[in-house]
Amino acid sequence: MVLDADVMQLRRGDLDALTALIARFQNRLYRYLLRLVREPAEAEDLFQQCWLRVAEKIRSYDPGRSFDSWLFAVARNLAIDHLRRVRPQSLDEPVSKDDASESFVDRLRSKETLALDRILESERSENLAAALLNLPATYREVLSLRFEEEMKLEEIAEVLGTPLSTVKSRLRRSLEQLRNSLEAGYYRGDLS
Amino acid sequence: MIAAIEHNRIRSLLALAASGALDPAEETLVGNHVRNCPECSAQLDEWRALAQGLRRLPTPQISAQALQRTVALVREASAAESERRTTRKILAPLLAFSWLLTVLSWPLFRIASGGLRVLFDIHFAHDWRAFAVFLAWTWVAGGVAAFVLSSHQQRHRRLA
Repeated sequence: MVLDADVMQLRRGDLDALTALIARFQNRLYRYLLRLVREPAEAEDLFQQCWLRVAEKIRSYDPGRSFDSWLFAVARNLAIDHLRRVRPQSLDEPVSKDDASESFVDRLRSKETLALDRILESERSENLAAALLNLPATYREVLSLRFEEEMKLEEIAEVLGTPLSTVKSRLRRSLEQLRNSLEAGYYRGDLS
Repeated sequence: MIAAIEHNRIRSLLALAASGALDPAEETLVGNHVRNCPECSAQLDEWRALAQGLRRLPTPQISAQALQRTVALVREASAAESERRTTRKILAPLLAFSWLLTVLSWPLFRIASGGLRVLFDIHFAHDWRAFAVFLAWTWVAGGVAAFVLSSHQQRHRRLA
């Protein structure tokens, strides 16, 4: 693995490299934190804490790992600690996997997907974003890492500290629940 | 019956197929099935549209003030940490050296004042007062030097 020049310089204590890294990752990192905590002010605060932690821990970063995965894992740990303190219930997964997949299959069988068709065809991303925000934090984060950060499943597993099989099942469940929410018409008011 | 089981199994893989999260064997399986199953093919298209929608979500931007604040704060904290590390590197050998001097100064002083013979004289001579003054002076001088050095570094950091 070729180690990022900025990361190498930061490990040597170069503060300009740190500034360059903050600028480079600002949108991705902020978006990920915002998806997790949902509140812009909290996301900004965590963004700041995350870079302080990076500056503090950069010497313990293993250059054999992907820097992106390490950075997002640092951000995730901070966000989880924050949520545990502020909104512990937001970390729960409210729907069991069996219930979710069963009701979804039932819905597919009944072919009642007209609402979904309308949503997807009109590409109402506000609607989708609203549905995404209403998912549990564990689902929001896996969707964000996969589709917004475009991370490979192995990288996501590294960030979450879970096996690949867990990432896959979580990804499937989160997509199913997202689709379920859209089909259920919770956001129909925004569609008209 | 077997076809129905296969059909349901493929269905459960469609969301992952649209996410590019299947291994090659599963991908082939889904590809072959979807070619001959219009229902699954339509479902896969919907999953793909959902995945595409997620990829196209607008990226929220952090405010410029928050970004500037972060850069300033992190630079300051890093500079302070780096300075602490440097200070530790300098102070550790200096401290060890000062302790060595302290330990050695008593026998050296005894040798200088009375020759090698008095070194092993267990009776305290009157010169212990002079030694105490010498020791106190070295510690005060060391303290003043540390204070001056620290003030200088703080001033330097403020200017930077």
